[in-house]
Amino acid sequence: MAVTPATRLLTVSILFNAFIVGGVLMGFEMLGSRYLFPYFGGGIDTWASLISTVLCALAIGYFVGGVLVGRYPSPRIIAVAILLAAIYLALVPATADGVMSQILNSMGDGPSAILLASAALLLIPLSLLGTFSPVAVRLLTRSAEESGGVAGLVYGISTIGNVAGTLITTFMLIPTIGSRSITYLYAVALAVCAGILFLPIGKKSS
Amino acid sequence: MFVRSLAAGIVAVVLSAAVLIARSDAQDSRDLVESKESLYNNIYVYRQGPYYSMTFGYNRTIYTESIYNSLDDRDLPVEYTRYMTASLMYAKTISSILEIGFGGGRTAWYLHRFLPQVPVTSVELDPAIVELSHKYFGIKDEPNFQVVNRDGRIFLSNSKDHYDIILIDAYRGPFVPFHLLTKEFYQIVKDHLADGGVVAQNIEPSTMLFDSAAKTIHAVFPQVDFYVAEGNVVTIAYDGPPRSKDDLDRAARERDSAYNLRYSLHDMLAQRRQIQIEGGTVIDPKATVLTDDFAPVEALKAIEAHNRKWQ
Repeated sequence: MAVTPATRLLTVSILFNAFIVGGVLMGFEMLGSRYLFPYFGGGIDTWASLISTVLCALAIGYFVGGVLVGRYPSPRIIAVAILLAAIYLALVPATADGVMSQILNSMGDGPSAILLASAALLLIPLSLLGTFSPVAVRLLTRSAEESGGVAGLVYGISTIGNVAGTLITTFMLIPTIGSRSITYLYAVALAVCAGILFLPIGKKSS
Repeated sequence: MFVRSLAAGIVAVVLSAAVLIARSDAQDSRDLVESKESLYNNIYVYRQGPYYSMTFGYNRTIYTESIYNSLDDRDLPVEYTRYMTASLMYAKTISSILEIGFGGGRTAWYLHRFLPQVPVTSVELDPAIVELSHKYFGIKDEPNFQVVNRDGRIFLSNSKDHYDIILIDAYRGPFVPFHLLTKEFYQIVKDHLADGGVVAQNIEPSTMLFDSAAKTIHAVFPQVDFYVAEGNVVTIAYDGPPRSKDDLDRAARERDSAYNLRYSLHDMLAQRRQIQIEGGTVIDPKATVLTDDFAPVEALKAIEAHNRKWQ
């Protein structure tokens, strides 16, 4: 099977997405602390809830993404997932305070309340983003021999995106524009990513 | 030849460094009494003569939280903690006191000893600190003295009580919990003040975080007075019109004698500074009010404020 310009374009756009999605994913975890601390305190218990929620979301995303791409091997799956995550993030700034205070008032500030608050904030959008990697690996793999290399490339770039998202959010964005604006910025970045994947590129030309 | 003299030089440098380190160790005559790793901190308790100190790390200058004189439980060895009690001359009445950030508990205990009829409640996040304060810092379970194990903001949000004086000193070494420095937080504090109540807060003035903190307090409380102590500044904030010097002087003298206070309110009043927060020279005009949405405390703390002039 020849590598056509169309498939190369698909490869580039998926890897670009891997980086941005990875960045938003970890950036939003850091941002999660800013939404939770005012209600549940800034202790190690809040961090444990945030981190475990993020990892749960990724596990869900990996499982679901793997199953979905087996049935519908198309970039549209991740385009839809990323778009839904963008919509969810866009709703967070206006609704988070109401949800957090509701949880605090009805459940207190114990471990189950903090976990529920983390889940309300992070579980759905990050599960949607978690579907990205298995789908990307499947779409870029053309033969069994290159599967390891493709998986390594996708996870490597996505993890570099994680690092960039963590550091840029913490050291550049939080000190300059505020948590709500950052959340909107992420939503826009994800919407752009989804838009790229909706473009009719990489259509099977063979 | 050159190699040999170089080697000799290196040996000399290493040896003299070792001697210097040994000497600085010898100068540090504190004995480590106990160290404890808690959910929130690494706590060290040192003893030097009759003084016990609590630190959250090895760096004494940035991590010392509390100093206790075991021979005299009414002594406040750390200067700013005395100014925290300046709040006593501002409050309209004194029938309940709340402290956020207990630490070694010195300020709260001083108030309890001189005002034994007034309920003093202190909120401390870290249970290990409360335990060590009982073990080494002379804190006892007594009527009208209560330490609650909770995050300060959560405690206040859930509380229906009102207090005449609220003291805020919730720093953890160099770490500042941002959710205790925002406009939303001070609004919660204000909502829990009794009529004529006041808020005293300890702020470290060497960085830009001070400027933002002062503006944030001022965004919620129209009146903010400043008391400059060694290395710290205490702000006293209250609602309503500004209090005149004569008015405060009368209250200070009256309460000095009523409670027989060791650290005279009348003397403290002489150190009162009323600075212009907006458009003045002490507070940086570029400083912004901190909110739950925008509170870059770590970044602000990294910017040093040089030559702050208190005139």
